[in-house]
Amino acid sequence: MVVPLISLILLCPLAAFAIFGLLGLGNRSFPRQDYLSTAAMLIGLVCSLLLLREVVPDPVPHTVKWISLGGVTFSMGFHLDSVTVIMLIVVTLVSSLVHIFSMGYMHGDPRYPRFFAYLSLFSFSMLFLVVSDNLLGIYIGWELVGLCSYLLIGFWFEKDSAANACKKAFLTTRVGDVGMFIGMMMLFTKFKTLSLYGEGGIFALAASLNTEDMVWLSIAGVLIFCGAIGKSAQVPLHTWLPDAMEGPTPVSALIHAATMVAAGVYLTARMFPILTETSSLVIAYIGGITALIAATIAIVRFDIKRVLAYSTISQLGYMMLGIGAGSYVAGLFHLTTHAFFKALLFLGSGSVIHAFHAMHAHGHDDEHDHAHDDHDAHGNQDLVHAHGSEIPPDQDMRNMGGLRHKMPITFVTMLIATLSISGVPFVFSGFWSKDAILGGVLGRAMEWNSVHHYLLFGIALFAAGITAFYMFRLIFMTFFGEPRNQEMHDMAHESPMSMTVPLLILAVLSLPIVNVLWFNENYVKPPEQPHLHAPQHAHISPDIKTDKAKMTLSLFGISEAVAAEEGGNDTHGAHVDEGHHGHGPAHTIAMVLSIFVAGLGILLSWMFYHRRSLSAESVATTFRPLYNLFWHKYYFDEFYDGVLVALTVWKARLFAQFDGTIVDGIVNGVGTVTRDILAVFIGIFDNRVVDGLVNRVAEVTWAIGGRVRRIQTGAIQTYLFVVLAGIVLLILIFRVL
Amino acid sequence: MTLQHYLVISAILFTLGIFAVLTRRNAISILMGIELILNSCNLNFAAFSRFMTPPEDISGQVIAIFGIVLAAAEAAVFLAIILAIYREFGSIRPNEVDTLKG
Amino acid sequence: MEFTLKPFIFYGFALMTIASALVVVTVRNIVHAAFSLMVTLFGVAGLYVFLQADFLAATQVIVYVGGILVLILFGVMMTSGRLEMRIHIERGQLLLGGVVALALLMLLLTVIANTPAWKNLTDDGTELPPTTERIGELILNGPFLLPFEVVSVLLLVALIGAALISRKEVRD
Repeated sequence: MVVPLISLILLCPLAAFAIFGLLGLGNRSFPRQDYLSTAAMLIGLVCSLLLLREVVPDPVPHTVKWISLGGVTFSMGFHLDSVTVIMLIVVTLVSSLVHIFSMGYMHGDPRYPRFFAYLSLFSFSMLFLVVSDNLLGIYIGWELVGLCSYLLIGFWFEKDSAANACKKAFLTTRVGDVGMFIGMMMLFTKFKTLSLYGEGGIFALAASLNTEDMVWLSIAGVLIFCGAIGKSAQVPLHTWLPDAMEGPTPVSALIHAATMVAAGVYLTARMFPILTETSSLVIAYIGGITALIAATIAIVRFDIKRVLAYSTISQLGYMMLGIGAGSYVAGLFHLTTHAFFKALLFLGSGSVIHAFHAMHAHGHDDEHDHAHDDHDAHGNQDLVHAHGSEIPPDQDMRNMGGLRHKMPITFVTMLIATLSISGVPFVFSGFWSKDAILGGVLGRAMEWNSVHHYLLFGIALFAAGITAFYMFRLIFMTFFGEPRNQEMHDMAHESPMSMTVPLLILAVLSLPIVNVLWFNENYVKPPEQPHLHAPQHAHISPDIKTDKAKMTLSLFGISEAVAAEEGGNDTHGAHVDEGHHGHGPAHTIAMVLSIFVAGLGILLSWMFYHRRSLSAESVATTFRPLYNLFWHKYYFDEFYDGVLVALTVWKARLFAQFDGTIVDGIVNGVGTVTRDILAVFIGIFDNRVVDGLVNRVAEVTWAIGGRVRRIQTGAIQTYLFVVLAGIVLLILIFRVL
Repeated sequence: MTLQHYLVISAILFTLGIFAVLTRRNAISILMGIELILNSCNLNFAAFSRFMTPPEDISGQVIAIFGIVLAAAEAAVFLAIILAIYREFGSIRPNEVDTLKG
Repeated sequence: MEFTLKPFIFYGFALMTIASALVVVTVRNIVHAAFSLMVTLFGVAGLYVFLQADFLAATQVIVYVGGILVLILFGVMMTSGRLEMRIHIERGQLLLGGVVALALLMLLLTVIANTPAWKNLTDDGTELPPTTERIGELILNGPFLLPFEVVSVLLLVALIGAALISRKEVRD
């Protein structure tokens, strides 16, 4: 059942896109492409749910040979384990809901069918990436989702800002992809295969490497992680994601929050077995730094979508941190919960924008003009400055406020998502997953007695507080208080059913009902990391291990399961246990601290933006340099613009000069020499020898022909005479001989 | 009268026909030579039929009849060609009809 | 040994045939040649009679003398002016043609003389029944039906072809 189901999941969205593409050849489009694409995704969702039962503990990849090149065979195939299935469900579910939401949101768009066709293509690519059992397949899916991201960010390409944003996204992720490709090639040259699983797979071969190869393996791991840095918008390649918000909001929800950006995390998790302690630490640091930087930038944004974009970057940093700290399950768990609540937040913001947007009568004229102003102001540096300092009025939180009465469903669902992302305890899924990561990092720190991980825990904890702060700032500014822009407020209205129903479904999914999958130790088993060794000074005592099992949060009735997992993993001395609820004391500490900082963040937010007992402006004035740093997003864009772009331009000029003087000089010199000297000799040779030979041959042929042709007298009697004479002669010869 | 009598007569007729075809500078004379050759062939058929097969078997004579028919057809086409050539070249001397001369 | 006229008559026909054929290939006047050819054809018909091929002899006279020879005379009339009546002969060509023809004759005679299967086959002089009925049987109801039909088609084709070739060219 596995192969047909997966094939169905992949082929349905591909077929939906193919129908659009085939009709597109005739310059037409299917008017009900939306139903087609949505139906394809719903079929995929059903198949994914059916696949839940098909998961076996030790899955065998279903592969076929694809191409053979000089003794090396590349295969294509599926790998179906529990993580794959969960990813499939997340992708198909969020994608289905986004499809339904888009029917309302994109209604009346001139390129309405094309939008759904692109969504279908994206869904196919993402699902292909998820199920592939080899790096080549993952890479193909990886580039395809990048392409879809490009197409969908630039969906309203009439806007210069959107056109620039999609180019920026494509080029920035490409920087990471180059690293990933080099990493893949390193693995390939070593192992002569790109398959991951099975006997001859990379993981099996990598497990047998000895310690001399560790540096090499670390470099390969970090290089592959580079792809994830680009795709998951980690520092320093994160700048494209906020600009990607120029795309339609459902796209932001599906691609730039729930699925594609999570592909980087998924890839890193897939590569988990070959991570060494060095590459793990690099991943953890990049994740932690990203979480902090993005969170601090989010504090000062006023564009509702940009806040969510930085929040996404920050949460992706959390996931990377979790995986880098060895909390495989925690990282993927956070990926799942984040996919739902962040999709909900984006769709909610889309609902708000849609409410305000109605006054623009679905035309994008307003944004159009604005985009042109923006363009003029920035000149031709738009590629870097695509973020635009001005915010579209329908996305500016300073125009919002008091919307909770106007849009009750949107308000309630977004509040649930905000509570979830902020880590409000127990009834929201985000708390569990974030806590699992924090606990995992602290557990690693305590276990290894590692300064790095203590530091990372501190960063993550601080970022968690900030997350709660800026998310509630968003809620307070949007839904509470008095309307700031009365005209726009009057126009606002609750969104249609097709938009509110997905919000409600996602709100339900933001409650901890997906946790069941992750807390079943029989279902998700983290792969082993044969090359991850604890440092010498680590103090791993069996006591702690048993202790923490006992002390695990029995209050949630999952301690037995966790204890079983701990017991199962104990056999490997150096193997580090899973983060989620694994480290008893670490977890308790992490949980208490995270509840505390979340509460603090919410409280501060409430004082600043609702009760207004504290003034944000005065704080900003007091910490002017810090505020500027956040406002200018740590000057990343300025840095790229001022250093990288300028350097590239300078380099290009240099090369142009080199090209103009030296290369052209050589070429022209060679040309002159050839024409004036060599050509003369060749000409003489040609005239005398070659032409002479040809002419002689022609003359000889002419002379022979002139003589021979006289045989052809044209008189039949001569011919007959010759024939008869010949016959007589032949007979005589045969008689005589 | 043995078979060889007829064969010798036939051979002489054949040779005379060949000689006419080779030497006469007139297309109609050439046709006459050809008719001599054909007659010698038919005579051979009839003679072999008479001497080499049982008396009841006269298929050689039938073949000779076919030969006469072919000669008639050949003569008709030949003369038609001669007429066409005469119109085209104003002569029926074969050595003057040499457009295909190399 | 009964004295009969038969050999004399046979040799007479043979002589007539060869002599008139010699006239055909040597005489300068083309009309004379044509009439001489008629004698040759009659001679051959006589030889057919000696071979007891009565139908063949009749056909020879009717078709050759009555048809082909008339055709040839028409050809002479339509193509030859008064000057053309005399056949132009080159001496060198005559010599070469004579040598080749003579060589050919020698060759044929050698073959005829030296082929064992052809020796001592004499005409015993038995009278055979007339052949016309059997020939008709063979052609119309026997193994030669198909060749007969093919030859009919051939004649038709030759007829049409001759008409097409000889008519005046119609220029568009």
